[in-house]
Amino acid sequence: MKKLVCILLAVMMVTSLTACTVQIQEEAKAQGFTPRLDASAHGHIRIAGGYDNFEALEAEFDRFSDHYPNVELMYTKVDDYNNMIGTVLNGNDAPDIYVNYSWMYGRDQYKDAIEHAEDLADPSLGLDTDCIRSNIILKTDDKSLPMVPIFSNTYGMLVNNSLFEKEGLSVPKTYEELVSVCGSFRDKGYKNPMMGFSKEETTSLFTLVSYPFFCENVADDKDAVNKLNAMDPSAGEYMRPTLEKMNQFIKDGCVDLGECDTIENNYDAVILRFFEGDVPMMTCSGDTVSGTKKRESRSEAFIANPFEYSFVPIPMSKGGAVFLDMSNLQFSVNKDSSELDIANEFMRFLITPQELNEIAQNKGLMSPTKDLSFSSMYAAFGDVPESGIVSPEEIGLTDDALIQFRQAVFHVGTGDMTIDEAIAAYGSFSQ
Amino acid sequence: MKKTYIIVVNVIIMVTILIFVVQYSGYENRISYQRQVEHFKDTTVTMEQVTENYLQSEQRICDVWAQYINSSQMTMEEAADFIRALHVLNNTSAHLVDEDTLCGLSTRPKQGTADDYEVSYDRVDLLDNTDWIDEIGRSINITRAYTNPMNGEQSLAFCNRVTLYDPEKKTGNPCVLLRVIPISALEQKWVFPQIELANAGLSMIDADGDYILKGYSFKNSSFFEFYKSYNQTDPETSGELFGRITSSTGNIPMTDSHGQECILAFTPISATAGWTLLGLVPSKDLIVDNENWMLFGVVFVGLLVLFFFDLFYMLKLNKHLQISVREAESANKAKTEFLSTMSHDIRTPMNAIIGLTAITEKNLDDTELTAQNLRKISLAGNHLLTLINDILDISKVESGKLKLSPAAFSILETVENLESISQPMVKEKNIDFSLNIGRMEKEYLYTDQLRLNQIYINILSNAIKYTQPGGMVSVDLREEASDRPGCVRLTYVVSDTGIGMSPEFMSVMYQPFSRQIDSRVNSVVGTGLGLAITKQMVDLLGGTIECQSRQGEGTTFTIILDIPAADRQRDDMRFDQVDDSELKGMRILVAEDNDINWEIISYMLGTFGITTDRAENGKVCVDMISAGGGDAYDLIFMDVQMPEMNGLDATRAIRKLEDPVAASVPIVAMTADAFSENVTECLNAGMNGHIAKPIDEKLVIKEIRRIREEKRRS
Repeated sequence: MKKLVCILLAVMMVTSLTACTVQIQEEAKAQGFTPRLDASAHGHIRIAGGYDNFEALEAEFDRFSDHYPNVELMYTKVDDYNNMIGTVLNGNDAPDIYVNYSWMYGRDQYKDAIEHAEDLADPSLGLDTDCIRSNIILKTDDKSLPMVPIFSNTYGMLVNNSLFEKEGLSVPKTYEELVSVCGSFRDKGYKNPMMGFSKEETTSLFTLVSYPFFCENVADDKDAVNKLNAMDPSAGEYMRPTLEKMNQFIKDGCVDLGECDTIENNYDAVILRFFEGDVPMMTCSGDTVSGTKKRESRSEAFIANPFEYSFVPIPMSKGGAVFLDMSNLQFSVNKDSSELDIANEFMRFLITPQELNEIAQNKGLMSPTKDLSFSSMYAAFGDVPESGIVSPEEIGLTDDALIQFRQAVFHVGTGDMTIDEAIAAYGSFSQ
Repeated sequence: MKKTYIIVVNVIIMVTILIFVVQYSGYENRISYQRQVEHFKDTTVTMEQVTENYLQSEQRICDVWAQYINSSQMTMEEAADFIRALHVLNNTSAHLVDEDTLCGLSTRPKQGTADDYEVSYDRVDLLDNTDWIDEIGRSINITRAYTNPMNGEQSLAFCNRVTLYDPEKKTGNPCVLLRVIPISALEQKWVFPQIELANAGLSMIDADGDYILKGYSFKNSSFFEFYKSYNQTDPETSGELFGRITSSTGNIPMTDSHGQECILAFTPISATAGWTLLGLVPSKDLIVDNENWMLFGVVFVGLLVLFFFDLFYMLKLNKHLQISVREAESANKAKTEFLSTMSHDIRTPMNAIIGLTAITEKNLDDTELTAQNLRKISLAGNHLLTLINDILDISKVESGKLKLSPAAFSILETVENLESISQPMVKEKNIDFSLNIGRMEKEYLYTDQLRLNQIYINILSNAIKYTQPGGMVSVDLREEASDRPGCVRLTYVVSDTGIGMSPEFMSVMYQPFSRQIDSRVNSVVGTGLGLAITKQMVDLLGGTIECQSRQGEGTTFTIILDIPAADRQRDDMRFDQVDDSELKGMRILVAEDNDINWEIISYMLGTFGITTDRAENGKVCVDMISAGGGDAYDLIFMDVQMPEMNGLDATRAIRKLEDPVAASVPIVAMTADAFSENVTECLNAGMNGHIAKPIDEKLVIKEIRRIREEKRRS
């Protein structure tokens, strides 16, 4: 009898503990996201974008399915996305949620992508947009919010931390330290202490190094920004300090442009060259950083000699590095979606610090949230003081102005043009 | 066996059965699941055939268009017009694209326009290389899913190379003809037909694992990436697996993006180069609900009910057994008491018989004393016989083997007999005796007279026995109307002023060997069986017996019996005159090993002029009958327990004799085996009757007459 009582008590105890654990888990889950719709809600949500593969988003689908098991989400790649999204939105196959970019705003060519977007600033939708850094949230004329950033982007350099540690050097924080570190590495036999893609102007080494510096220079000068946006030829002068700084950078011998030219593209080739393990610093954008994890297994050199690495801002001024804070991919909700409630619910689920950090972590891109400390890859950008953060979005520089700047620095950097020629050509560069 | 042990064994058996049920159920489920998996694989193969047929039919349309265009030297505009005229479905279109410029014409206008038919594949990574497009009619040339540049719909296109005439260059231009079908149209058709596979998804992949068509349950841009993302695998294993998937038909378990177990069925699409059709379904959808938990529940409840039923039945049985044990102990005790009583009750008259015989032997010359002693010996002997008969009766009653032998008799003669029997005792004790007989409408009744006599005599003799000299005994017998048809109700009331009975004794007076002990009466005057037998007899005759008694004042017994009236009454009753002289000359063979018994029966029958021969045992008896022939003897009195051959075997042997007359000679058992089962045994052996020892002359003569009468009738 005593045994029976003991067994019964034990069973009750285990049952109670299990119930408590389940309750705690459910409470924890509830703290992150509280569904608004009935859990039995069902529907098919299609999200369109330009990526071939969007596994990080599919991982979000899985987590969303924990709350809404009957909702099927699917990612569809749209060919020639930027040009086709308008057509897709106007067609029979319009997605419920679609990728958008802030640079599309205000351009007639992409007006469909903006006009089909629901205003996500509507408080009734319950999106936690406050968790996103205000720098990268699109500022529209009518204060509406047609898109919210899912990822952010920046320019910087991949740093081989293991190599720095091995050689007893510290990751540079100022331009002087950068030059010094490059010299030290060279002295230690490293032919290329710093490299980058220099073959084409798109996201070239020159842009990556100088654009944050340029933005810092014009950030507080409204006239300059207006002139630059207006393609005023006289606005070229605003580029002079930056172009001179870049020339100085090249003269200081931080990079060997001949070696940089061997890098075939600004993505795979950059990563795989960095994984060779003999380059302490490799300039690239956040987009390129997102591909590093997957390519670790494709690099025989990295597999043979793996090392620790991180992404840090390039210190181009005496005051230290500038964190160029840019939005990357953003999501819009198709206001004509037949599954608008579920689409909004998914957005409400996604636009939270936890999920945005999670998807950014999985994608390898920088999170748009205010706290970057969670990511060992991007944590260095979180350490940049407020004064060192600049955002083209905040400054108001348009994408067209950026294109002019990119061309100018590329031509000066490669030696095709002098600084004066490049300044004079501002507004006349074609993409 | 302890109760706990039995319960534990029962519980173990129950648990074993339940485990078996669960295991068997699980086995059945696994078999059923395997069948469903095979079925799913077969369905996927069927879907592959459906898909292949569809692809071939769509390709054939494209082939026909291409052949006609090639044979007609059309310009791009003419070809577009030609196809446009053939369009039946609204959602399909065709594109004609120059291989060099990747620009061309669509058969349907660009979205939002009415007459803009220009199409460009410049930014669609589809036609940069057209080596994959085979010659017309040789294979299915299908693109991956792509965005239709004219309307933005995700589409597939069946392709052919065509040559279109360029009027400017005056040459043929290599172009690609695309028959474009929106995937949404395909998705509606491209589903598993079975309801149970509603959650199953289909996808088509190329040899690299990239999706051509992608179902909702499939993730990533490549199936191989999808598999690797959610399933633990190493490069070598996954390589082998992907090789198997893209080259054979089969199925494997895998985990999907929701972390749920699924079955992936795969089969190559034979009409294409290296494409594979994939079917993915959650494993739980293939599990057939066999209501096994219902079965388990029913078995469990059934076993539980059985267990408790058995438990309670066992407890009840135990209770009964305990009662039986107590009863057996009580019976054993009663037997011991009975034997003790018997010993006492038999020894008492035996003491008188032996003692008086010894006294008589020593005083043979004293005729008066001898006569007095012989009378006392006779009385003691009669008492002993009464005791033995009572024991036989109570044995028969208790075993339920007492059978009534109803016959017509005169109730008045019964009463007269009752009076004559009681008179000597009444006179001896100087008791005031009165007998009141009411008017008897029906003098002749039909029942067992012997048993009725027993009842009346037992009650009356008890009354006389327990009434002191000078007391009074009265008998009232009256006939009344009975509720039973054809019966009369006889009410027999015997009252005395005797010693009476205590209430304690009255509660047990019908039990055997119950005797009222009173110093005023001799303790050996009764067997203690009389009332018990009387009660049983009354019950057997369907009557009632009631008793009112007060100690020291007297007792009144009232017996009410419903007895059928005889068919014949005094007027038509014919009395057969008994004439003993007719027995004279009969020849009877007596099989008797005991010399004294032979002497008694021989003497007794001799007084009736019956000739007797003796056979010392059964074998001699058989020999004598065989030798003497069938008519040598009228009857055989056969003892049962004899040396060499017993009476039963001898009877069987006689009955088997060849001489039919000899084999049918009447045989009557004359034996001390007097119990009912002994009688039955004798009759079963082939005997015609049974007389118990000690023999009663009247009964012997009555039996002889009966046999003689039967023989005469036959």
